[in-house]
Amino acid sequence: MRDTSRPLPFATGARAVFDLSLEGMVWSRRTLLMGLLIGLPALVAVGYRVVLATQPRAELLPPSDLYAVIVAVYWVRNVLPLAALFFATALVADEVEGKTLTYLVTRPLTRPSIFAGKFVAYVATTISLALPAVVLTFFILMSARGVSFVSPAVPDLLRDLGVTALALVAYGALFALLGVLLKRPVIPGLLFLYGWELLANLPGYLPRVTLTAWLRSLIHHRPAEEGLAGLFQQVLPAGQSLAVLVGVSAVFLAAAAWIFSTREYVLDQ
Amino acid sequence: MSANGTPPPASLAFTRASRWYGPVIALNDVTVSVPSGVTGLLGPNGAGKSTFLKLAAGQLRPSQGKVQLLGRPAWGSPEIFHRVGLCPETDAFWESLTGLQFVTTLLRFTGYDEAECRHRAENALHQVELLDAKDRKIGGYSKGMRQRVKLAQSIAHEPEVLLLDEPVSGMDPVNRRRVIDLVRKLGREGKTIVVSSHILYEVEAMTKRVLLVHNGRILAEGDVREIRDLLDEHPHTVALRAREPRRLASAIVGWPNVLSVTFGGEGEWVTVETARPDEFYGALHAAALESGVVEMYSPDENLESVFKYLVAR
Repeated sequence: MRDTSRPLPFATGARAVFDLSLEGMVWSRRTLLMGLLIGLPALVAVGYRVVLATQPRAELLPPSDLYAVIVAVYWVRNVLPLAALFFATALVADEVEGKTLTYLVTRPLTRPSIFAGKFVAYVATTISLALPAVVLTFFILMSARGVSFVSPAVPDLLRDLGVTALALVAYGALFALLGVLLKRPVIPGLLFLYGWELLANLPGYLPRVTLTAWLRSLIHHRPAEEGLAGLFQQVLPAGQSLAVLVGVSAVFLAAAAWIFSTREYVLDQ
Repeated sequence: MSANGTPPPASLAFTRASRWYGPVIALNDVTVSVPSGVTGLLGPNGAGKSTFLKLAAGQLRPSQGKVQLLGRPAWGSPEIFHRVGLCPETDAFWESLTGLQFVTTLLRFTGYDEAECRHRAENALHQVELLDAKDRKIGGYSKGMRQRVKLAQSIAHEPEVLLLDEPVSGMDPVNRRRVIDLVRKLGREGKTIVVSSHILYEVEAMTKRVLLVHNGRILAEGDVREIRDLLDEHPHTVALRAREPRRLASAIVGWPNVLSVTFGGEGEWVTVETARPDEFYGALHAAALESGVVEMYSPDENLESVFKYLVAR
């Protein structure tokens, strides 16, 4: 029996918005583009195996190092934050630009439930693009020197999958906040990624004000090559990293939901 | 009247409500109670009709004063939307959804289970004569079909209050008639319906009661016939887009109520000036069917001139 004296329960409302948003996200050009970008390392890994098979004497980076660089530099530092930027800033903006937000805010849904449904749809979409790419790349690269090299590295894979998901959540929460706060959030988002986040490479306390440093600290495996190992300096305690990332994500999401609840987006239409 | 003799509170009430955007006043110190039945919100473009409806629908906060919908503040009371339907003016949809999916999705947001959503969606689409097209994507709908599916979502949950922003804009004459009949029927059932339009004859076909809005103020409130008498002094303009515009023009040019006929929009549009809009609209039905009229609207210059006259009085 419907209780018409109250808005829909939070979970029911969020679920309904999730279903609608997921449908829209899965079949978007944005998802296709991001799927290609996120999946590119799997193609690189195939190329690596082809080179290895055809030119056994070629001087190549060890496969475990290539995998570590792909995880830390390509995905966690660049492509996942970019995916978060382009998806999460658009969560509300797409509805405002498409003028469909009216349909959502004139139903018995609380605004936080609308926001939550959209954010979970973003996480589901990007995770379903990223995790298979990570698994595929891992197996193609780690089996390059024989399948016996795979099983010892599986704990690293599991950890990478967790970091991938956490990166999407943490950056997504930040960019969702920018998306509800600013009319044009993409440029500030890019400035954050390629300006502010460079602080992660500095010595001292400064890396702690970046998301990159905390995420990087959760990646377990390290490349053997000396030059590459430099990328993994400033390792912060894993437990603290996890707590900080979960904490800031929660704060960003709560702030975004609150701003979304108080703004009159209809003016932007 | 209630048992103790006091009238029931109005479903929609503005109390000294104003709304401004920066230095621009969109609605100025409006106090009005909207009773059950159909109320026309009439005014030229930019008069404040949409702001009125957005305030009523809780999409905007009043800058000053109060807007109460079903006894609750319209802004920040999502629970009232179980009992309110809004047909917005904007031509906006999730284009990849079919008509049925669109209405069903919005019903889910109102808390119905899947079977009930489908049943109600089909019923609403039937009421706006869109059931045959329910499985087509909205992206492929004509302008009139899009208007009707928007109307369907607003009535599917059988709301007590309906806010309709220019609901027949762009519809062909046949569907315009159907929607007008539907609004009248819902009004007779006791729902509180506010319909905005800049076309007096559209509003007049739905209700006798109007609120005249101009420059953000309620200029007059009451019987539409008084306004109509004033309008009869001004020629009324109707623009029609037809598949066979020349056939349409030749059919109507000789009518005694038509003052002039001109072509526009690469020959697709026929613009008609009429001194007696009632007669014109009454006679148009058959000619529109024969010549394939697909869209019709009325520019509001004539209404604007009446408002200027009213303001000057």
